[in-house]
Amino acid sequence: MADQQAAGSGGQVLVCENVSRWFGGLQALKRIDVAINQGEIFGLVGPNGSGKTTLVNAITGFYPPQEGIIRFYDSTLNGLKPYKVAMQGIARTFQNVALFKGMSVLDNILLGRHIFMRPSALASLFYWWWAQKEEIAHREKAEEIIDLLQLESVRDEPVDVIPLGMQKRVELARALCAEPKFLVLDEPMAGMNQEEKEYMVRFILDAQEALGLTVLLIEHHMDVVTAICDRVVVLNNGEKIAEGPAREAINDPAVVAAYIGKSHDAA
Amino acid sequence: MFYRQSGVHHTRYQTARRLWPLPTDQGIVWLLLALAVAAPLYLSDLYLTSYLLPWLIWSAAALSLTLLMGIAGQLHFGFAAVMAIGAYTSIHLTRAGVPFELALIGAGLMAAGIGCIFGAAALRVKGLYLVMATLAMQYLVDWTIINVPAISGGAQATLQTPDVRFLFVPLRGDAMLYYGALLWAVIVTLLVLNIKRTSFGRALVAVRDKDFAASVIGVNPFKFKLLAFFASSFLGGVSGAVLAFCYYQAVTPEQFGFNVSIQLVAMVLVGGLGSVIGAYLGAGFVLLVPIILTNLVAGAAAAGWLSVSSNLLAHIPLMVYGGLIIGFILFEPLGLAKIYDNLRKYFLVWPFRHTQS
Ligand SMILES: Nc1ncnc2c1ncn2[C@@H]1O[C@H](COP(=O)(O)OP(=O)(O)OP(=O)(O)O)[C@@H](O)[C@H]1O
Ligand SMILES: [Mg+2]
Repeated sequence: MADQQAAGSGGQVLVCENVSRWFGGLQALKRIDVAINQGEIFGLVGPNGSGKTTLVNAITGFYPPQEGIIRFYDSTLNGLKPYKVAMQGIARTFQNVALFKGMSVLDNILLGRHIFMRPSALASLFYWWWAQKEEIAHREKAEEIIDLLQLESVRDEPVDVIPLGMQKRVELARALCAEPKFLVLDEPMAGMNQEEKEYMVRFILDAQEALGLTVLLIEHHMDVVTAICDRVVVLNNGEKIAEGPAREAINDPAVVAAYIGKSHDAA
Repeated sequence: MFYRQSGVHHTRYQTARRLWPLPTDQGIVWLLLALAVAAPLYLSDLYLTSYLLPWLIWSAAALSLTLLMGIAGQLHFGFAAVMAIGAYTSIHLTRAGVPFELALIGAGLMAAGIGCIFGAAALRVKGLYLVMATLAMQYLVDWTIINVPAISGGAQATLQTPDVRFLFVPLRGDAMLYYGALLWAVIVTLLVLNIKRTSFGRALVAVRDKDFAASVIGVNPFKFKLLAFFASSFLGGVSGAVLAFCYYQAVTPEQFGFNVSIQLVAMVLVGGLGSVIGAYLGAGFVLLVPIILTNLVAGAAAAGWLSVSSNLLAHIPLMVYGGLIIGFILFEPLGLAKIYDNLRKYFLVWPFRHTQS
């Protein structure tokens, strides 16, 4: 955790100021302010449709905000295409698993190394003298992540035949392979049973510790949120209604009311 | 059985990523290559130059197209035009005294350049609109070639290929022409196989499968679609040049008309999208089936069982392609390659019934 110290444990990794996003007449984000510190696991919670995924999409360049500024370390992310955001060191997973169906688990994970590789048809033509060395070097890196997330047994399977819980783990592996500074997880435990959930929590903590990550976690399971998040922000109808240490923010009367108002199942 | 997966364990990433990890597959490949190299010794000139040689070149062309349609997922219905650009460029360059090796590269670059211009325009649209855009390319290129005498050599003209040397060997005589075609087929095959196991191919497949998920890991979808157009058109251009020099030994615009584009798409689809062995099977199928069919129908007509006009006879192959394309899309989208793969897997796990990979 040396670099974490260097950056100062109070250093801010990602800052959203006044971020607003409209979809037609619907304002999905209303002047959101969020600041995420180096090395923390930051929770983003709220009832369905409250704007959590939209905020993540704003950060990662899919739905750029119409108002507000998003800063990542010293640079602004506004206006960057998603692939450029990825190159800045931000990796994410999707709420609905977004793996490449036509490929094996290994190839999916190897794709996480894309930003460090120099793909070219010419290098492929002269594979034995050119591309092979690079492929093997990055394979070794990918194997470290496979090892960390215990994916050895499914490594060569086509990715669409393995269970959903495993697919979510593969997606996490693909994100980690990019050696991100900042990792965004959009409901990594949705649809998992208790055992799978516990595994996933373990993996997130392991990865965070091993790679010195800062994590933004969207999660509906409040037990998980209170257990691993340092701080949380609660959204409702695109508005920030609470912020602070996990247990306190979740028990905030406004938050309880928001969840009851939606008669939510996960609270 | 001799064809087994069990007992084959790789202990190094290098061997695990071999083109053919199983010893039996390697054996088959070497055997096929040896047979191909020795073909002039045991095949009659007729079979060598009118069956095997065009089959190899068309397979190379189908491979070029499957790189774009199968691996990168971009439809192209004007690929014959790409080949035409390559063929005409190579002829004009060699006539101007450029060495054949450089003329081939020039043919590839010219085809890739023009292919990319249409590609860039086409990439802003998807699916059916992409089909329309590539069709437009076919007609524009056809029209330009026919109507610009500097390219076609005048209306109805046939341009003969000049005598050339490839790497100091004169490209003359059936065997040499055949080896030229074989060499090109081997190069394209290795290239496409290698693309499929390296970061370039993975990025193409990623963009094809889910472009938003590709961009979240840092793949620029537009760039890679364009690169796919470039690489595929380059190979298509050179394939056109090889076809002109090693097979037709002359070019006319009709050799690269719209129906040839459809034939190429049929080769790729019937063989199996994105499959290397599929390109060979598809090309063989598309080249052979019309011959067999025409002979059958002509035979039946001659025997008096059927009465067909020669006009209808000429159209039977086209109708059969149409039917085949539809049939394969409906019933076996993965094409002949899938049928081959099923067979191979049957032997792999014999005497058991099921396999995992
Ligand atoms: N592409 C879009 N076009 C139009 N409206 C959208 C779009 N994406 C999201 N919205 C709307 O924005 C609001 C916030 O949606 P969002 O997906 O961010 O919610 P969420 O908090 O992630 O909910 P969930 O817990 O169900 O994932 C919703 O009302 C949704 O309908
Ligand atoms: Mg969501």
